[in-house]
Amino acid sequence: MKKRIWFVSPAVFLLIAFCVVPLLIMVYYSFLSDGTEGHLTLQHYIEFVQKDFYVKLTFKTIGISFIVTILCILIAFPMAYVMAKIIRSGKNVLLMAIIIPFWTSQLVRAYSWQNLLRDGGILEEVLRTLHLIGAEPLGILFTNTAVIIALVHIFFPYMVITIYLSLERLDDSLIEASKSLSATPWTTFRRIVLPLCKPGIFSGSILVFVPCLGAFVEPRILGGTEGSVIGTVIEDQFFEIFGWNFGAAIAFILLLIVLLSIAILSRFTKEEV
Amino acid sequence: MIKKGLGWFYIACVLIFLYAPIVVLMVMSFNESQYNALPFRYSTRWYEDLAQNEALIQASLQSIIIAAITGVVCVILATLLLLGIINSHSRLKNWLDSLVVLPLTIPWLIIGLSILLLLSALGLDKSYPVLLIGHIVVSLPYAVMVLNARMQSLDLSITEASASLGANDWTTFWRILFPLLFPAMLAGGFLSFIISFDNFMISYFLIPTGLSTLPIEIYASIKFGFTPEINAVSTIIIVATMSLLVLMAMVMRSSLKNMFK
Repeated sequence: MKKRIWFVSPAVFLLIAFCVVPLLIMVYYSFLSDGTEGHLTLQHYIEFVQKDFYVKLTFKTIGISFIVTILCILIAFPMAYVMAKIIRSGKNVLLMAIIIPFWTSQLVRAYSWQNLLRDGGILEEVLRTLHLIGAEPLGILFTNTAVIIALVHIFFPYMVITIYLSLERLDDSLIEASKSLSATPWTTFRRIVLPLCKPGIFSGSILVFVPCLGAFVEPRILGGTEGSVIGTVIEDQFFEIFGWNFGAAIAFILLLIVLLSIAILSRFTKEEV
Repeated sequence: MIKKGLGWFYIACVLIFLYAPIVVLMVMSFNESQYNALPFRYSTRWYEDLAQNEALIQASLQSIIIAAITGVVCVILATLLLLGIINSHSRLKNWLDSLVVLPLTIPWLIIGLSILLLLSALGLDKSYPVLLIGHIVVSLPYAVMVLNARMQSLDLSITEASASLGANDWTTFWRILFPLLFPAMLAGGFLSFIISFDNFMISYFLIPTGLSTLPIEIYASIKFGFTPEINAVSTIIIVATMSLLVLMAMVMRSSLKNMFK
């Protein structure tokens, strides 16, 4: 077929006009003192750095995303390992089962967690029936714990799939060879399986860590006042306080953290030879 | 054997965690209690209430319309994009790749608010076309990914064969590429439909006054307290998506079979 490079123009136009240009405008806004008219200034960034609240919030957001990522790895790795190396049957059905919840809205799942986790809710009833807790209320809803549980729930399927794909490629004979050279299972895991899975673990980490940084729905619905993160503070600026310029500055800082995390994490996703 | 048993046990635990919120939601949609409280008493009153709730029904229809337009536009744009870069050099391809994945890597919160700032900078009001464009921008990468995967697996020398037999490009596209790409177009369209249908963040920033989508309604009622109709409407959506998913899988399989006949 003839070259028809202009075929790309509608998509390229759309992405530049409604994704790249708006981001540039956002950066411009963040340097304006007030609204569209104000003068150029660094005041919003200075305010952000000087107020303890925002600095702590930034570290808290990064901390929550980090915890969620680690929990996802811890839950997903054994699952992927069992699927790829131990049971070996019904893999497609299991993969389907892991992907299906992806098709239900994040909002609806957060709402359902609210019902599960609240005091006097279903989880409390179940735990009490099993005599795992006493009469005291559960006290999870509207804490960071609730936010972390919901975020792990949303994102760990990505981790299972990326780790599974890298384990699937791992040649069994390497594990056998390690065993026959009388390595303990722990040594085999540490010296053979883990290094070969590293790219998978880190690509999964990008898919988990990065969206967690920009999470808004779960912290707002399940975190209450304790659970505020960068995402909820940006929303406050746009919908409650109408400090759009300051909101744009926080959003730009968030964007920089996102891009930096991708840059750092993707260095580890390449396969070493 | 013990290893296998433990493995299955672990998988079962994870799946329980994964499905608990979804199953609870579905069960609670048939519970009489307004506060999703136990003990469970069967009732269909929330479905009856839902049938009366004009606002929720309107919002659902609106979401379906927006998602359908988004799905169709995304497939067309993605197909054009991929046809456009056939035979083009890799530097351009890399550049386009990073442009296309941009809406995937940037939090939707930021994309939503920056489009809002664009409107404000241009002195424009929020409007339906811009809402649609926002949905298309965040859904397009998914359509491109699905179609690109299919395109990569195709042997494009068949288009040259077709051309050398005197077919013009138009004929080559409709007779050769389109049938080969169709399952992927369907899958890509479906994926962008779902992304748009579930999308809350973009609509939240860009929805014009007087309009509402289902996620916006759901968010509002979560904010203002328990509304068990949300359980009912979510159950309907989950069941509908699952059935569509199964249908898709069947269509894909039969069309894949047809290709190799």
